[in-house]
Order: sequence, then structure tokens, then C-alpha cells
Amino acid sequence: MEDDKSLLKPQQGLHPEDNSRRNFLKQSTLLTAVALTPVAAVKAAESHMDEKIAEAFEKLPLKMEVNGVAKSLQVEPRATLLDILREQLDLTGTKKGCDHGQCGACTVHVDGHRVNSCLTLGIMVNGKKITTIEGLAKGDDLHPMQEAFLKHDGFQCGYCTPGQIMSAVACIREGHANSEMEIREYMSGNICRCGAYPNIVNAIQEVKEGGIAV
Amino acid sequence: MTNKNGLTRVDGRLKVTGAIKYAAEYKFPGLVYGVVVSSTIAKGEITGIDSKAAEKSPGVIAVISHLNAPKIPGYDRKPNDFDPNIKTFNDSKIYFYGQPVALVIADSFERAKHAATLVKVSYQKQQQQTSLTANLQNSYKPWGDGSDYLRGEANAYRNASVKIEAEYHTPIHVHNAMEPFAMTAVWDGDKITVYTKAQAIKSMQQDIMNMFKLPIENVQVYSKVIGGAFGSGSPLWPYAKAALIGAKVINKPLKVVIDREQMFTMVGYRSPAVQKIGMGASADGKLVGITHEATGETSTYQQFGEGITDTTKFLYDCPNVNTQYRLTRLDLSTPTYTRGPGETTGVFALECAVDELAHALNMDPLEFRKKNYADHDPEENKPWSSKYLDECYSLGAEHFGWDRRKQKPASVIENGWLVGYGVGSGAYGAGRANCSARAKLSADGILLIQSSTSDMGPGTATVMVKIASDIIDIPVENIRFELGSSALPAAPGEYGSITTSSVGSAVFDTCTELKEKFKQIAGGTDNPDYLKILKEHNLPFVEVTHHTSGRAPDADKYSAHAYVTHFVEAHVHPATGMVKIKKVVSAVDGGKILNPITARSQIIGGVVWGIGMSLTEEGVLDHRYGKYVNANLGDYHVATHADVPQIEVVFVDKKDPVTNPMGSKGIGEVAIVGFAAAVANAVFNATGIRVRDLPITPDKLI
Amino acid sequence: MKQFQYIRPATQQNVLDAITKSGTKIIAGGTNLVDLMKRGVTAPDKLVDINHLPLKGITPTKSGLHIGALALNSVVSENALVLQKHPLLSLALKAGASPQLRNMATVGGNMMQRTRCTYFYDTTMPCNKREPGTGCGAMEGYNRMHAIFGASQQCIAVHPSDMCVGLAALDAVVIIAGKKGERRIPFVDFHRLPEDHPETDNHLAKDELIVGVEIPDNNFAKNSYYLKVRDRQSYAFALVSVAAALDISGGLIKQARLAMGGVAHKPWRLYDAEKSLVGKAPTEENFKVAAQIAMQGAKAYEYNAFKLKLAPASISEALKHAAGVV
Repeated sequence: MEDDKSLLKPQQGLHPEDNSRRNFLKQSTLLTAVALTPVAAVKAAESHMDEKIAEAFEKLPLKMEVNGVAKSLQVEPRATLLDILREQLDLTGTKKGCDHGQCGACTVHVDGHRVNSCLTLGIMVNGKKITTIEGLAKGDDLHPMQEAFLKHDGFQCGYCTPGQIMSAVACIREGHANSEMEIREYMSGNICRCGAYPNIVNAIQEVKEGGIAV
Repeated sequence: MTNKNGLTRVDGRLKVTGAIKYAAEYKFPGLVYGVVVSSTIAKGEITGIDSKAAEKSPGVIAVISHLNAPKIPGYDRKPNDFDPNIKTFNDSKIYFYGQPVALVIADSFERAKHAATLVKVSYQKQQQQTSLTANLQNSYKPWGDGSDYLRGEANAYRNASVKIEAEYHTPIHVHNAMEPFAMTAVWDGDKITVYTKAQAIKSMQQDIMNMFKLPIENVQVYSKVIGGAFGSGSPLWPYAKAALIGAKVINKPLKVVIDREQMFTMVGYRSPAVQKIGMGASADGKLVGITHEATGETSTYQQFGEGITDTTKFLYDCPNVNTQYRLTRLDLSTPTYTRGPGETTGVFALECAVDELAHALNMDPLEFRKKNYADHDPEENKPWSSKYLDECYSLGAEHFGWDRRKQKPASVIENGWLVGYGVGSGAYGAGRANCSARAKLSADGILLIQSSTSDMGPGTATVMVKIASDIIDIPVENIRFELGSSALPAAPGEYGSITTSSVGSAVFDTCTELKEKFKQIAGGTDNPDYLKILKEHNLPFVEVTHHTSGRAPDADKYSAHAYVTHFVEAHVHPATGMVKIKKVVSAVDGGKILNPITARSQIIGGVVWGIGMSLTEEGVLDHRYGKYVNANLGDYHVATHADVPQIEVVFVDKKDPVTNPMGSKGIGEVAIVGFAAAVANAVFNATGIRVRDLPITPDKLI
Repeated sequence: MKQFQYIRPATQQNVLDAITKSGTKIIAGGTNLVDLMKRGVTAPDKLVDINHLPLKGITPTKSGLHIGALALNSVVSENALVLQKHPLLSLALKAGASPQLRNMATVGGNMMQRTRCTYFYDTTMPCNKREPGTGCGAMEGYNRMHAIFGASQQCIAVHPSDMCVGLAALDAVVIIAGKKGERRIPFVDFHRLPEDHPETDNHLAKDELIVGVEIPDNNFAKNSYYLKVRDRQSYAFALVSVAAALDISGGLIKQARLAMGGVAHKPWRLYDAEKSLVGKAPTEENFKVAAQIAMQGAKAYEYNAFKLKLAPASISEALKHAAGVV
């Protein structure tokens, strides 16, 4: 991966350890750059301009492709891919179950590989291709794994389902769906509290045995 | 889609595409985010809250606590059983670790979350008590004399020729639904609309009306889909009160989602229990007496009790039964209904004890159960509405291959693993409640049925469409069932395995009335051609609303329960103590099975819960702090894919003539009852080691 | 999580320059670091993203196999050379975490992961590792997962990695880059015991970067095994784990390597037990003797006494699997 120089620029002079926006602005070399006069600075403070400026400089540009669509965003470095998908892009199919990599509900594909989006900082997928549950079907045609989940009743409440399906597709692609035992082991990063596990395994086996490329 | 196993989920497509919207997924212009700050002591008073740093933090709109919250009109009301009575932000008192003490509202989730860490709360701490076993001596009778039960002679087991006495311990179980609890609250003047997870939509509407003293038309509750609840989704929890207050204060749409740790402290859990059972039989295996004493816990501010000893009173034919139930008040949040509430805990002990006594008698445990079969309800002295538990025994045994079981423990080894078979049975009341439904068949051919029930996963809408389609003969894909809104005709909460029976009866009656109405319009034909009738009479639609009583005709004359028998093959590694469940057959008497595909999933789900309960799940507290040490999904182990084998579900599938017009009995709760005992019994059969305190982790078998 | 600065320096040298400042942390897979940041256990001012550095390769060297620090756990576990030369490492990796996490986690990051001790993770609890001088919450608390070897009065936490147990058993060497160039240290000396400074997990200096590990060629491929005993079948940390590797020739053990996880602040090599096996036949009796030797000096706490039985049983069991005498 190339070093993205544009990432470095806006952070000059940033003092993130300081929580006060006002202090930040006083210290910031950016202030001189925008050449605010004292009067303007007071006005800016009154209208919370300081926070708006601070906010602009706390955010970094993030370019990624989500479900085939190029996205260009400004994000705080601390924002996870999960929260960016759900809160900024309104792609709420990807679920927050535990927010700590312990349940798999947030599973998405990054450059074709399944990962926990709750532990992925958004800024770190700059330039990558993301596939979420919303990107699996082709128009009205469901992905074979989605069809199989429907047929085998591979869910009840449906909350873990997007993560299960994204993981199931990856499980087959990785070549880890060769037996019931192997599927169970390689699906164990996806918790289903409703307990649809046997149905999910059946769905995956059917898709695998169907031989259609997933 | 209909196949030989029934109707696949009518909302399935929305779920597999990620399109369905859960409580935290509704967008509004200007929506802001709330994060709940939890108490870091278990008992005492808040002496101060320093929120300056949080308020100065970027994007923060407000920090709300008892210090600045408005007076809530409904907080002067007396508490009742369904209101957990934590009056969020009302005063400084702390009742449990993790109690909401402040709400931080900001313009983004990240900013609210960070600012919440900047709120500094100071406390005057008092010594908390959070251990059930250390406080058993402080237990009390929760329901007065109704806490105890006696039939025949008390403690008669002691005089039996063969007897056992044992003490069983079950830990805290946390529902841990995958969807964290969330409330999106939108005020418009004195009108409030909320999007949340509500098992009981109408009672949540009532709770909000009570809280703010609002008329019914001012409170709208939406709960279109629930990402699991398992009993935790009924009350207006303290976090939700915080959301309602917060949204009111800032007058903006507000979303509050609690985190996984807060899922352990803020939305209930299954009470731990200590149970003693004495059981005795004659030498030929006829029960003489059962004594069952149970103690659970409740909070200091509210009583929650459950029927831990209930099943003991009627599951077997036994002349002498005495039970007692006690509670101990601890500095924890109040427990709540948790899948198979009461029965799950109590039947674990009962069915282990049955196995222990059968072993003492050197009898096959299934034969022992058959020998003590209750052919009428010995507690109520009534006939059963229907009872095919005996068929569960025989069908299950046949499918499982029970005849291969060796009576002598630790006598089978396969590939270095000890192999054991175990059985456990259970029952759960087949209840029903009042329910209304509306059905409207329009000229476009769509039949819309509405009721304010919920779906936390079992497939409520799917089974209702199935019930309707059996009455109104139109293509099933033209039938819609709408739920999840308090504006719809009143339905009971989705709990206690009553939904199919209650809402289903209302749908049955409503559709039957609709059909009748069409017949009347058309002048009495048995199979009305609905669309033709609408066209001929130039009607845009025909609509009926029907209220169905929760009391089935003659229901009082019978005792109604669903039954299950679980058969389990467990493999235990003798050196490391690891347990693998290799095979499960669950035979179920759930009356007529209305939609086998989703019914089977409910049973499987209960079994998976049972696997967690028996082998891995335990909420652990550090009593020095009164705090969980495993309040996350990495350390609180629910079952994973790898823990769960194929599960064979066998339905007796025979109509119950009393419960409801469909002949069904609810199965969501009974699915888990008795399973943990089946595992413990299988582990005993494999190893000769009797584990009486759950979960059966490797350390207990080496 | 507090705000922080995020940078992605172009070269390894730039990374080394960037990490000298205090409050700076390297991020690779982030599976542990982001978790710790979310919980407020660590709050760096600056994150240095190194994922683009060319440290992903898995290549044979003159006398061993080099694995780059940024090689993903999933990639290493399925790499043909790893499977052929060091199947034990593959088994250990696959026993850890979940497929998703292994797709994110790197070899270097895995080595740097912190303990999963609940008192360390919970910022309201005392913990000398997180906040020196606050005491050890686990010592008198819920210590079921905790150490039986090498603990101190300050800390009884265990290192959570499976991969590291495998690498410790396989005599791996850690390659570390610093301002003055590269240095190599034995894997077993990379992590440290808590002693009086439990806040320090290992011997990596603040201005250094792990660039890879190297596993010397050996004769263990035919007879090795990784046994992990845990509370559920997958996706759980070890109660006890054992990496066992045997070089068996002519019916006798020529060399043995044993390491344990879930028992100490670092992957725990069982040197005396290894020695006891050399020259012996691979029998259950000999394995049991070795397992007993391995337990010398073990000390349990209120909730983890079972490990005194589980550990030797697991050692013996792992050796049986390695030797193929199950």
C-alpha cells in the first residue's frame, strides 16, 4: 500500500489529548492559517465556530468502495467501520451485537475477507472494497446463501443473520465448508442467541454442495 | 414460500437482506445520541456529579442526571410488579452496580461515548450483599403461605425404602439477546413516539402513559422487530426512562443504545437458585414422596418471584409432595423472566433428582418415569386438556436409540471419550390471554390482519398468516400480518408461550367472522369467492375487528401444559473434563403443530439455550464489589456453532381439544425445560460423576 | 474512546521515528488495541498504522522459516510451508479467536496482545498492570483463569495467546528493528514475568518494532500437537493449553518441546519435562512422569486450583496426541 500523504496533512498541530476546543484553537497553528482577527475569533467562539473548525480538522478523508459504490467521507479516526456504515451511510444491515469482536454480528468483507467491523477503524480501510449484507443480492435476486437461509430457517430474530450470512459466504470461499464439523468450527465467530446453528449449518452445506460460485 | 414443512418466514427476505429495521435503526433529522453512565458502586448514595468536562467535550448537548432532570409526573405512583421501580434520575440512591446515573447526549455516537467517560460521579458507599449462597439465612416467603405447598404428608420421602437427598445450584443466566436494548424517542410537544424492543407493546405504552401522565393517544410505541429478548423485553427499563427524559429535555429525536456490559445489569437476568430435593420410592420404583425447597434472589427495591417448584407438584404421580419457595433480597438489579422462567431452574433439579433416584433403584430412568406417570393433574385434581408425554418418551427413545444405554455409569468408551446417555423431561403451562385482531380484505386481493403483538424471533407473523390461510382460502402471499405498533388492536405481551394461542385464537376468530360476513353479503355460500363478492357488491373492502377472550370454553375444567422429553448423548474426555454434546433428540407435545418449520426452530433454540445452561453459562460476580467480572460475550459463554450438534425434533403433533381452536400448545418456553438435566444425567451416565452445580465446566469433571 | 492522531508513515524508518514519542502506539490488526481503547484501558494520543509495511512474507531461510510480523494469523495458519514444516503453529493459530479475528490479527500484534484478565480490562477495578500501584484485583478475586506459574505479588495474569505458545515450543526467534538496526532474541525471552513491573509485558523497547519471527528447521513436524482446553468448544480463551512436539526415532524420543498457555504471564516452556522425555519411549507412563515434573513450583489461588490437575492431564494428553498413541 502506498503512503497516503493526504492523510498526514490535516493533523499538523492537532493536540487530541486536550479536550477543550477553545484551548485547541488558541494553540493551533491553523489559527494563523485562517488569519482570524481577535474580533472574528470572539464572534467565532460565540457561534461555536471554534468547534466547527476543530471538528473539520479532527476528521480525516476516507475513500472506500461500499457494495460497488465509491464513498467519500470525512471521519474521526476513532470511528469504527461498523459505526460509519450504520450511522453515516445508513447501511444498518451490519449489526452491533457486542462492539468488541466477541459475537460476529458486525461481520463484513474487506477486499473479500471477512472481518469484525466493530474492531476496524474506518480510516484503516481507506482505498478498500467493503461488502455488506446489502451488497450481496443482485437486485431482486437473492444470493444463494440468502436463499438457503430462508429455506432452512437459518435464523429467528434475524439480528445475527447478516453477520452469519457474510461469514457463511466467506466460509465457503475460504474452503472451510467441507464437513459439518469444519463448518461449525469456522462459523464459531458468529454467535446466534436464538440458536439457529443447525439450520445455518444445513444452509451452508446445501450451498456448498450446490456448487454455485459464491 | 410454502413447502412440506410449512410456511417459511414471511419477513424472512427482509431479514436475510439486512433491510428490516431494528429499534436503533430509524433515522430522523437532527437525531442525536445518548450514552448511559452506570453507577460504579452497588449500594449507597450519589454525593456529587462533576459533568463539566463532559459538557465541554466536543459535540455534547446535555448531561442529564437526578441533579438537573425535570420532575417526572408519574414518579409519585406506587410501583407494581411490572414496573421495576427504578425511578431513573429521580434521586441519589444506588441499588445496584451498573444503575443508570447520568445520560450524556451528543451529536455523534463516538462523542457521546467518550464524553460519558468524562462524567465523574462521587458516592457514599455502603456495604453490599450480592451473594445468594452467603445470604440464604435472610430469605423470606415471597407470597406468604402461597409460597409453600403440601399434598399428603410432608417429607414423606424420608420413610421410603429407597431415597436420595441432594442440593442443586444454578447460577445467574443473562439473556444476552444479540440486539442490545435500544430506544429511539421522538417527542412532539406532549406526544411521544418510541421505537424500541418491546415484548409487550401495550403494557409499555401504559408504562409510558403512567410515567408522564399522558393519555393513550399521546403515546405511540413501535416494536416492529425484536433482535431477541427471551423474557427481558417487557418492562420499561431504567435506561428507557433515561431516553424518554433525555429526549424530552433536549427536545430532539434521541437514540439510546445500551452496551453489552449494560445488558448484564440493566435489563434483568435469570435468578440464581439453591434447591434441595428429597425424593423417595418403594423398592419397585413407585414414588412415595418428594420434597423440593428452592431459594432465589430478588432486588432490594422490587420483588420478582418465579415458579421454580411448580412442576414438582404435578409432573409425577406421587401421593406426598411438599415444596417451599423463598427469596433473598440482594443489592443487585431485579431478575426477570428468562426463557422457561421458574420451570427451567426447578426442573433441572427435579429431573436430576429423578435420575439420581432411578440410579439408586437400579432402574432405567425412563422406565422409572413411566412407572410414575400422572394420568391426571395430581395438584389441581383435574384431567389434562391433553397430555402425550408418554408418547414423547416412546417416540424420543425410539429416534434416539435409548435401548443402547448402559445402566452402569462409565462403562462406554469411544476413541478415548466416555460416552453417556441422559434424559430429562419438562412441562410448561399452555396459557392464553385476551386478544383483539382486525382483518380487512380489500378489492386488490390483499388480506391485512393486524394486532399489537410482537415478534422477538419465533415467527409471529408467519404463524398468523398460516392460521389465517387455513380459514380464508386465498393465496398465502396475499395475506399480510401487521404487528409491532401500539395503535393496533390490543394483544397480550409475547411471553409465557401464549402468543400463538392468544393472538392465533383472535386471528382465527376474526378471520372466521370475516368469512361469515362475506357469506352473509353473498347469501350463504360455504366457500365464498371473496373478490367476486367485493366486486359484485361494489365494496372496496370488508373489515372486522374481533375481541377474543383469553378463557377458552371449559378451560377451567382442565389442566393444560405442553411437554417435552430431551434425550442427550454426551461425550466426556476423562483427562481434561471437556464435554461434547454429540446427539440430541427432543420429543415435544405441543398440541397441533401449526407451522413445523418455525416450530422446529423454536425447539432447537431452546435446546441451544439448554446447552449453554448446562455446560457454559454463568454470570459471575465479584462480591467484594457487587459487580460482574464477565459482563461480555467473550467471558460469558453462550453456545457457539461448535458446541451444537444436529438436533432432531420429533413432534407428537396431536390436537389439544381445549386450549384454542387450532389445538396448539405454546412451545417456546418448554423447549429449554428439562434439557440441562438431560445433559447432567448423560454426563453422570458417561462418568459416574454427578455435577449438581451448573454449568458443567471441565474443572468439575477432573 | 478519546480522539487521537492517526498517521501512516511511508517507511519502516519513518515508523521508527514516529514511535519514539510517548503516547504513541503502533496499530496493525487492531483486534486487541481497538478493544482496549474502547474500554479506556489504553488511550494513545497517536496511532501509527503499519499495515502497509512490507512485512507480510513467509519465506524459507538458510536454516528456518521467516514469518513477517504483519502476516495475518489466518494466512500463516494455512500457509503451505507452515503446514509442512510446523503444523503445530497452524494448530495453535486455528485454536485462537475466530476466523474473522484471525483475518485481521497479525503475528506481531498477536505477540503484543495484553492479558484478558477481567480486572485489567475493567478500569473501575484495581490492577497493577493497567495502573501500577493500585493493587491486584484478581489475587483475592475471581481468579479462575489465572496463573499457576511465575506469578508475583503484583500480578497473577496470564498471557492469552495460542500462537505464542506454539512459537515458544518451536524455539522461534523474534526479529526486532530499532534505531540501531536489528536484534534477535529467543521467543521464550520476548515475554516476561510480572515480578515488580506487571505493566510491562515483554522486552520490546518503546522505540522498537517487531519485524518478524523465525522458526529454525526441526524434526517435529510428524509428531506435534496443540491441545486447548476451554469452557466451550471454540471462540474462548484457554483454561490450559499445551503445545507438544516430539522428535521420535527408532521408537525413542530424541528431542521434546513442551509449552503451556493459560498458566503464566508468558508462554510457559517446560524444560525439565522436555529433558525427562529424551531417550525415553513415547508411552503414556513416561508422559505422565514428564507432566508431573512440569508441575513443580505450581501455585494455585482460590478459583484456579483445578489447573493443578488439569495442566498435567493436558500435558500428558497432548503428548499422547503428538506421539500418536491415543
